[in-house]
Amino acid sequence: MTYLSQFQYYTNSGTIPTDENWGSYQYVKLQDIVNNFMLMYNDNHNIINNEERYKVLFHAKRAIQELNYDAFKEIKALQLTVDVALRFILPSDYVNWVRISLYKDGYIRPLTENIQVASAHEYLQDDTGKILFSQNGEILMPQYSGLDHDRIMGSKKSIYLNKNNPMFNGVYGYCCDGAWYFDYHSRARFGLNTETANANPTFTIDKQAGVINFDSTMANEECILEYVSDGMANGNDGEVSVNKLFEEFVYAYIRYAIISSRLGVQEYIVSRARKEKSALLRNAKIRISNIHPGRLLMNLRGRDKWIK
Amino acid sequence: MIDEVYSTVLSVLNKNNYGYVTPADFNLFATQAQLSIFEDFFYSYNHQINKENMRQSGIGYADIKSGIEQDIAIFAKTQVLDQPASTTNTANLYNLPLDYYFVNKLYFYPTLLYSGTTTAEVAGKLVDTTLNQFVITAPGIPESPPVGSIVVNTSPIGAPTDPMLTAYVTAVDSVSELSLSADIMSTGAIPYVGQDYRIYDANNIVEVEKVSQYKIFNLTSSQLTAPTRTYPAYVLSEGVSETATVYPSTINKKGDVICQYIRYPKTPKWTYNLVASTPIFNASAPDYQDFEVPEDNQVDLISLILQYSGMSIREVEIYKFGATQDMNETQSEE
Repeated sequence: MTYLSQFQYYTNSGTIPTDENWGSYQYVKLQDIVNNFMLMYNDNHNIINNEERYKVLFHAKRAIQELNYDAFKEIKALQLTVDVALRFILPSDYVNWVRISLYKDGYIRPLTENIQVASAHEYLQDDTGKILFSQNGEILMPQYSGLDHDRIMGSKKSIYLNKNNPMFNGVYGYCCDGAWYFDYHSRARFGLNTETANANPTFTIDKQAGVINFDSTMANEECILEYVSDGMANGNDGEVSVNKLFEEFVYAYIRYAIISSRLGVQEYIVSRARKEKSALLRNAKIRISNIHPGRLLMNLRGRDKWIK
Repeated sequence: MIDEVYSTVLSVLNKNNYGYVTPADFNLFATQAQLSIFEDFFYSYNHQINKENMRQSGIGYADIKSGIEQDIAIFAKTQVLDQPASTTNTANLYNLPLDYYFVNKLYFYPTLLYSGTTTAEVAGKLVDTTLNQFVITAPGIPESPPVGSIVVNTSPIGAPTDPMLTAYVTAVDSVSELSLSADIMSTGAIPYVGQDYRIYDANNIVEVEKVSQYKIFNLTSSQLTAPTRTYPAYVLSEGVSETATVYPSTINKKGDVICQYIRYPKTPKWTYNLVASTPIFNASAPDYQDFEVPEDNQVDLISLILQYSGMSIREVEIYKFGATQDMNETQSEE
């Protein structure tokens, strides 16, 4: 890959999108990684020779996937309105979630994952409990199970301290801007279960269905999903890239992956490759952690604050 | 070189009145001997690499491997691959060159800049006044196609089996005319027959990787490593004419794929005129063909031809002499 001129970097040479190259210098493309590896590490005089490119490509992609899961700090965010069925469909490149928040009144409120089941399938049954089938032998199911129906209609009670919690019924409170607040001094409760002590809406993730299910208090609300992907750019190899701080690790990962599965390679060489890979990952993680002394100082300034 | 070899062979054979090898026989033996030496290049190359890895080889004058590489490079050739007539521009099939011995690499031009048909014949130029699609350089606007772009004439100029010709863009003369590094659009036909052309970006040329038949469908089914235009793959298929099937199947245009390969050496032919019933060497004959292996292989050629001649005239001594010479030569090279 050639270096970009300033004109190309800032304006993409006048081609839309003009911001195409902004920040691109942080990354090295998958194409370059594979090309460099084939050029530098796969040769008649190297430990690795006669290795097919598709194997190198496979290991390079696997390394990038692994890095995306935990080492990179590249968290994607998607904001959507929760639909009438109280669902948020997971994005196409979703692998795992980091944080789910309600965006309301200008505040981002982190939501709590509900520890109870929020959605279920249901089979239709007759009055004797027998499961009903169609003429084709397919099992009959309603659109929503009873649990889902109650959750969507808002009649499902919550164990969390939000407005679906029956404990709040009959309790004195104050309504301010549509939200209820309660004065615990008048009826203090002891033995609070802190696990469920959150007034915000709750969610559960149905991985098989590919949706996030919310309780009824999230209906038509704005939800922000922060999540990690695997960096595969939806299969567009030309867009797959990796931060330069991890470039050497990716080479080491590929080397190790190939050497460790090769016949006749001495164990000390495999071991050396493994150690090299681990050390490079550790180094890269430290480098990318960005521990800035200035920010640390600001946090530490709070150490002398008086706690009332 | 061929005349020296023939003369030497005749000289050795005649020394003890063993016999005589006719030019026709010599040409047959010469073909076999050259092929044998040609094939040995690859084994010697591999042998030298192993020696290098064992630190038994040096650099400079001791770099035997480079010498063999140069020997093989004589036969290296690059050619744009044609397609079977029935599937031109529709299927991902490409004909391999007729004279290939070993396909080294296939390459794919992923970025097509322009295509069209020429409208006039100007030596060393590409003229297309139909589309007027080229861009002349101006302040803030780069020329297009850039100098160095690859131009392929996808219409066969000679026989249908002739390879497609390629050249580089050396200048954008106008919106309808390019200067080329070689005259690949002239046909000499009157009236001029328009030539189909394709112009490719010279950057980001990608290698098409060879994959075994038994692995290709695993590969195409793989989510992570399925062939793409960035990482294409091919399999060789054998038939009446050997073809390469390139994946993904969207690579299916004539001119998209080029082949770097090692060809077979041309068949040597000692040509002659009969003067008083004696064949006299004639290097001007149209079918004359010298040996193509480098001159340092002359001793090997003579030894091998003597062996074949010894077997032909049933003289064990000749065969033994040739074989001993060949063995000594091989040992000294190792």
